[in-house]
Amino acid sequence: MNLQVELASRKGSLILANPVMTASGTFSFGLEEGHAFNVQELGAIVTKTVTLRPRSGSPQPRTAETPAGMLNAIGLQNPGVDAVVRKMAPRWSRWRTPVIVSILGATVEEYGELAARLEGVEGVAAVEVNISSPNARRGGMEFGQEPDTAAAVTQAVVRNITLPVIVKLTPNVTDIADVARAVVESGADALCVINTLQAMAIDARSRRPAIASGFAGLSGPAIKPVALRMVYQVAAAVDAPIIGCGGIATGLDAVEFLLAGATAVQVGTATFANPRAPLDVLDGLRRFLDEEGVADIGELIGAAHERRPAESPATS
Amino acid sequence: MKATFARVTENERLYGETHITWFAAPEAVRGAGPGQFVMLRCVEPAAEREPLPATELPVDPLLPRAMSIHRMRQGADGPEWSILYDIVGRGTAWLASRRPGDAVYCWGPLGHGYSLRRASQQLLLVAGGIGVAPLVWLADQAIESEKSVTLVLGGRTAEQIFPATLLPPEVEIVVTTEDGSLGRRGLATEAFVEHLEWCDQAFACGPNAMFEAMAKEQRRSRIRRPVQALLEEGMGCGTGICYGCAIQTRRGMRLVCKDGPRFDLREVF
Repeated sequence: MNLQVELASRKGSLILANPVMTASGTFSFGLEEGHAFNVQELGAIVTKTVTLRPRSGSPQPRTAETPAGMLNAIGLQNPGVDAVVRKMAPRWSRWRTPVIVSILGATVEEYGELAARLEGVEGVAAVEVNISSPNARRGGMEFGQEPDTAAAVTQAVVRNITLPVIVKLTPNVTDIADVARAVVESGADALCVINTLQAMAIDARSRRPAIASGFAGLSGPAIKPVALRMVYQVAAAVDAPIIGCGGIATGLDAVEFLLAGATAVQVGTATFANPRAPLDVLDGLRRFLDEEGVADIGELIGAAHERRPAESPATS
Repeated sequence: MKATFARVTENERLYGETHITWFAAPEAVRGAGPGQFVMLRCVEPAAEREPLPATELPVDPLLPRAMSIHRMRQGADGPEWSILYDIVGRGTAWLASRRPGDAVYCWGPLGHGYSLRRASQQLLLVAGGIGVAPLVWLADQAIESEKSVTLVLGGRTAEQIFPATLLPPEVEIVVTTEDGSLGRRGLATEAFVEHLEWCDQAFACGPNAMFEAMAKEQRRSRIRRPVQALLEEGMGCGTGICYGCAIQTRRGMRLVCKDGPRFDLREVF
């Protein structure tokens, strides 16, 4: 059974032994002791988003439970890119599993600077450009909501790094396909679809927002159908590998995203509800392929489309 | 840390509106000490399937609940551990309705618990409301190792006070209630300051307002004693991967689940 997938080939290549990754912000930096599974069995790890300078994040409360999901406004707490390069990357360099560093800048220039600092760092396999966090006062989602700003950020990153570049898109847009096209034309190797949906919860008793910063990002099984639709839509619009993300908790969820056109998947909030979730997704995927007699995972990618994206006529 | 389906062996309302649930799943608390906690999913598994797949658990409510380990005992079929809680929402209401034989998906032990210095002979334990939960196991262990224990039990009313009859008889108990319905009228904080000079080390668990008052009173008293506070904060994961429970401390940002939940009182308040 072949589970290997390729997310980038043009510059530095990014080949994963299997398509299951952790989602940014849901697995810290992968270095905690005592995980419920062996991290080396996953296709890749995506780190918590890293900024140029350290950030202490948002005040409490940062999380709230919602129907079949949760809200978060962590506020990008992280030790800053230099600490990541100095203290964490050397440990990742001894891993079999590739580590993808998520980055976010307050300005286009900061994204470029972050890329430059990660260029050539041993232990970093690729970058995931976060233009989709709804929890950044500056940067993040504000760049991902318009095709031209999304393109500007992508170009700034691509110019400064030879590593593969993944761009993570926001669902909080009018037309995600427009943003996806702009990002791919600007040199992104792959897309991650989607980040959290901007949302809110209000505590009736205290008559105040349930999250200190007011708005927050919605994740978990509640957003899976939205994410699936957007992966399908982006797969029809661009010819670049897509990483599906949003509410994936089982092997069957992963299969659905592959059928919608994703080449790989990220498991996020599910890991809070089940500490073995990423590995359970991988095991479930293997079981599905076995039961269905699928020899190569490539057979599934985009198979739900009436025509495979690659076969679509350029104009219609 | 080990994830498992824990079998409920006993579940009852212990006093007032406070419930206790016992589990036979030693693997979830292996090597644990007082102050450490377990995460529990509050959803019904498909009981007819063995082994029960965690991926097929219902997704609502989604997040696990963090619960201090309350006590250990020897059950009919081996060691058992318990949680002690008030019903405050969907998760705790679900837990309180479990019956013997039911399975609850959980994982632990998690976090850093209380750290007892070998030289400490006289221990002051301060419980605010349901904060008594982790302190009972600490008291059990301290009495077993022949320490002197004073336990301050604070609550709004008598209904919230852990029954003295369920504690080792050697424990010196001081009860304070805000309405004076049991013990002294007043706050646990006042009893804390009065006993501070006596103790070698103090251990507390309760709401943040109690910790704030304790820190303030200790500063005013100028009595230097190490005080450990067991904090509670809204958690997503309980394992240090989501950063939901971060707090500001004098040493920078810390995660309650992974760096705590035990902190030096003065480090935070």
